[in-house]
Amino acid sequence: MAAPAAARALRAVPRIRPLPVPDATRHLHTTPACLKTRAARVRVGKGDKPVSYEKAHAPHYIAHRKGWLSLHTGNLAGEAGAAERAVEDAFLRRFLYGTFPGALADEAVLKRRGNLLVICAVLARGLAPAKLYFLVGYAETLLAHFYKCPVRLELQTVPAKVVYKYL
Amino acid sequence: NLMGVRLAGSHVTTQEPKTNPLVSISDEPETLYKRLSVLVKGHDKAVLDSYEYFAVLAAKELGISVEKVHKPPKKIERLTLLKSVHIYKKHRVQYEMRTHYMCLELKYLTSSTAAVYLEYVQRNLPEGVAMEVKKTKIEKIPEHIQEPVWNTLPQVEETEVKS
Repeated sequence: MAAPAAARALRAVPRIRPLPVPDATRHLHTTPACLKTRAARVRVGKGDKPVSYEKAHAPHYIAHRKGWLSLHTGNLAGEAGAAERAVEDAFLRRFLYGTFPGALADEAVLKRRGNLLVICAVLARGLAPAKLYFLVGYAETLLAHFYKCPVRLELQTVPAKVVYKYL
Repeated sequence: NLMGVRLAGSHVTTQEPKTNPLVSISDEPETLYKRLSVLVKGHDKAVLDSYEYFAVLAAKELGISVEKVHKPPKKIERLTLLKSVHIYKKHRVQYEMRTHYMCLELKYLTSSTAAVYLEYVQRNLPEGVAMEVKKTKIEKIPEHIQEPVWNTLPQVEETEVKS
């Protein structure tokens, strides 16, 4: 007798729901986490893998033995736009990798001077000069229209990939 | 039009003064700057050192007096992240971003000199380097405070209140 009465009493108590706060939202983190011990490092092997100077050095050598591959003001203290530049850089590197298939000798250096974007790349010789000029023009016009800023592609050709050491 | 044509044995006296279309002359008084402070920041100290040499040389060539060149201390922004993808809370990895500064102070410039110098120096700013410019203007004291207020008020006779 007491139990149903207690249950009815419990049901009668109004449940206090949390008030909906318009600014409180829930987010889900979906980017993959990076294993920092193995980032940007070429693992030592049998000694038959040719590796360039850029790849041979681990990221803790940046500003000591290595320079920067992407030069912009986004990461300076008090400056904004680092994330946008990072996304643009990722797109540009993939675009270059696809436009010059197999010809890129090393990572491209991206420089931003004001509005101008300068892409400095080193290519191995394999394509005919006429085709190379067409690809340069195509890349410059397409990227300029896409990013709405002047884009300059500065290329250098090299007989073969420059090897720093074999790992 | 015979301008510029070298006529043998003749002296061309009617020569129009060559006016450069890019240079404009106006009668407005120029704004004067007491100090022009140019703060340059970058990640690479060597780049800033070479830019300092270039900026000081440019100022000397244009005849601008350099007050001082000083290097404020660098600012380091550090992040500590977990080293591994899954567990291992005790093992972390630290990253840092260093910002080096270099401040160039020039004194006593006119607005046109400042404009020319800043345009030249900014067009040759290296990539990855940011600049902040602060100008200190010299202005005339406004007319309403040139004379002290108590001199302009009408003479009020002092009346002693005896209680």
